[in-house]
Amino acid sequence: MEQYEPRIIAFLCKWCSSAGSDLAGVSRMKYPPNIIPITVMCSGSVSPLYVLSAFRNGADGVLISGCHPGDCHYIKGNFYARRKILLLTELLNYIGMDEKRFKMSWVSAAEGAKFTELAKDFVEEIRFLGPQNKLIRGN
Amino acid sequence: MEVVIQRDSFPQLLEKLNRYNIWLPRKNGDYWEFKLSRGKESLDKKYTNTKLSPKKFVLPQTETLFQITEGENGKFNIDEKQKKDSLDIVFGIRPCDGVALSHLDKVFLNSFKDPYYSKKRDNTVFIGLACETPPFENCSCTTMGESPFSTKGLDILLKDIGDRYIVEYITDKGKKLFSGFPNLFGKITTKDKESLEKIKKESNKKIKKRVEDLSETTKKLDIMFDSDLWFHESQSCINCGICTYLCPSCHCFDINDEQLSKKPLNVKRVRTWDNCQFPIFTMHSSGHNPRPDKQSRYRRRIYHKFSYFYKTEGEHLCTGCGRCSNYCPAGINIFETLQKVAEYE
Amino acid sequence: MVHIEDIKKEAKRLLKEKKIKYLIGYKRGTNGLTALPTFIKEPEDTDELIWEASCIQNLSRYLVEEKKEQLKNKAENTLPVGIIAKACDTRSIAVLLQEKFLERKDIYIIGVSCEYGGVIDQKKIKKKFRGKKPEKVIFDKTNNLLIGTKFGNIKVPAEEILAERCIECKSTFPLLCDDVFGENVKRKISEHFNSIKEIEELPAESRWEFWHGHLEKCIRCFACRSVCPMCFCTECVVDPIELAVTNESTAREKAEKVKWIERSTTATDNIIFQLVRTLHLAGRCIDCGECERVCPVDIPIRLLNKKMEKTALEKFGYESGFDINMPSLISNFKDEDPQDFIR
Repeated sequence: MEQYEPRIIAFLCKWCSSAGSDLAGVSRMKYPPNIIPITVMCSGSVSPLYVLSAFRNGADGVLISGCHPGDCHYIKGNFYARRKILLLTELLNYIGMDEKRFKMSWVSAAEGAKFTELAKDFVEEIRFLGPQNKLIRGN
Repeated sequence: MEVVIQRDSFPQLLEKLNRYNIWLPRKNGDYWEFKLSRGKESLDKKYTNTKLSPKKFVLPQTETLFQITEGENGKFNIDEKQKKDSLDIVFGIRPCDGVALSHLDKVFLNSFKDPYYSKKRDNTVFIGLACETPPFENCSCTTMGESPFSTKGLDILLKDIGDRYIVEYITDKGKKLFSGFPNLFGKITTKDKESLEKIKKESNKKIKKRVEDLSETTKKLDIMFDSDLWFHESQSCINCGICTYLCPSCHCFDINDEQLSKKPLNVKRVRTWDNCQFPIFTMHSSGHNPRPDKQSRYRRRIYHKFSYFYKTEGEHLCTGCGRCSNYCPAGINIFETLQKVAEYE
Repeated sequence: MVHIEDIKKEAKRLLKEKKIKYLIGYKRGTNGLTALPTFIKEPEDTDELIWEASCIQNLSRYLVEEKKEQLKNKAENTLPVGIIAKACDTRSIAVLLQEKFLERKDIYIIGVSCEYGGVIDQKKIKKKFRGKKPEKVIFDKTNNLLIGTKFGNIKVPAEEILAERCIECKSTFPLLCDDVFGENVKRKISEHFNSIKEIEELPAESRWEFWHGHLEKCIRCFACRSVCPMCFCTECVVDPIELAVTNESTAREKAEKVKWIERSTTATDNIIFQLVRTLHLAGRCIDCGECERVCPVDIPIRLLNKKMEKTALEKFGYESGFDINMPSLISNFKDEDPQDFIR
């Protein structure tokens, strides 16, 4: 039987996390190809609707990654994100979505290794959980 | 033709019909709705009327008209979604909702025969249940010239006379349905007829007439399009869609294409209910909205029901079921508006 | 005690002296117990005003409508609009002021304290008084309500017929008022977040079953959105794309509008609609309970908002509707906001 391959949408901020994932690439660190990166200008620009839409279009997991607190290119975008995403996490958990399917992280441009580690763990976790079928469109 | 079935034999009847989909009114929390039967059941004595009207059986809120899927060789497969041949039997339609079905027939089966509607109509047997007491405060079928024993739009009408139902066959479809098991039905006696007459009389008395002269309303509507009344009547409206979505006669719909996947292509065309009380209902793509405020939208609803439809079809597009007035969040009562229109100088 | 005659007198004065454009208040309902909103322009019409526990609606929604109308017609507002508001209603006005949607000078608030009571729950009344045709509800000082029926007054403990949100109410005294009627009393019937405790304690799968079961019934009449004073966006994510179109929009803009959810009433899209609605109300909802009251298919929408309210309070120490000078929940942050969920 073919192994189940999860699909994970990652919203990475342009200035830190996206650069961090690039660093992982140029440093030849391997991370699973299940992560589908979408570069956004700032983690603060990620609307909860993006996350819901990703789930709706078949994502098994969603990752939002931004700069460490204090490092934001726009000074405080990631602080806003922190609040918004916490509310979304609580709400998704409340309606019974598996909380493990949705993650937020701080990854700086220098943390290629952290990104690799994170991606590996997340993919394994989702692989264990199996496909997400609660918020798929058309259901 | 009329026959009689004992109340106790009703579950047996359901059992005999179990190869079809049987829908019965069942309580869901605080309100009634049509649910698939679980087998041996009888009609609940406490049943009033469903909150959501039975129009969903012939005009579902969401209906896929067809679906296009791309095959592996690049060929497209069109699925017309009209395969349903199984019979649905719905018990407990109140006569007002039956009248509404006859309105829908006028819209969908007259000059243009809607294939989706007509297929569903042919494959559903509507079994009515006459009202011995008005189900709701706001019930008023008599205002609309109907009665709690009206048979319009129905296939069979059951009349509860205590321990038994009088079964009135209205269409051949209805007659055919029960023809297989004659031993469940008995002949109607004169005593049954007498008690039915008594119940009928009482029931008619219990239903309040809300508008004294509806023809007056219709006449007045011709001259009061620009009246202030519409502003005052709709001032508390909040632009939701409860009145039209719960209405058994409202039938406006919208057609959209929905893409399920891009590659391989998977698209479907769906028909959904639409609602004249939403501001976007009449929004043009230029940004112009011919019905920009709630007074024009509320006016439209009244005019469509009591003027335009009456002029083309000779009937009011309202059955007096009272759902819109019962569940309006702002308490707007359609009968009060109609009375005010009739009294307009 | 609140005396309706005092309110009528004040309303009459305001209208006579042309202090307000018109007054939004409550009048006796014609269908059951629930009072109806009324819009009074003439001083002599103030006699139809009522005040009792059946004044359920949050009338501040009509202030939003008035403002929208003004914006559309680009009209200058000359006189303020008068409104009779309960404690929770004034909190919703406070949020609208905090967000600068309304201006304080445009409204004249006649606040009425709920004192020991609150408003009734239509469904509870229906269950308890089936067939008895209750006609009016009267407060009593001892947490009891008197229900007037054809068969005389019946005494009922408040929590048996009060709306759930009134049982959990934080403060029954209005704020920001130009006029106040009634006393400021401290009363507490139940903990503030009692109603969501039960769901929170369920295992995840049961929570999903609960919400999926409820939300798949949604018929998208959007009454919850329409009745909410906070839902004043001109464009809603669930509307078909045309709404955002203006005279100036290009064909390309129209074509490229994102469709977040489809028109088909699938359970998934219903859930996404409600989640988005809830998130938009996080830190703004003041728990007037209107969304749940109007829902024709009895979805417990309020419990979603309540969860956000609880999260805002517990995690960020934020309470909506009490301070109009405070920055709103998600347009602000603190350095010490929790981040243990972030890796």
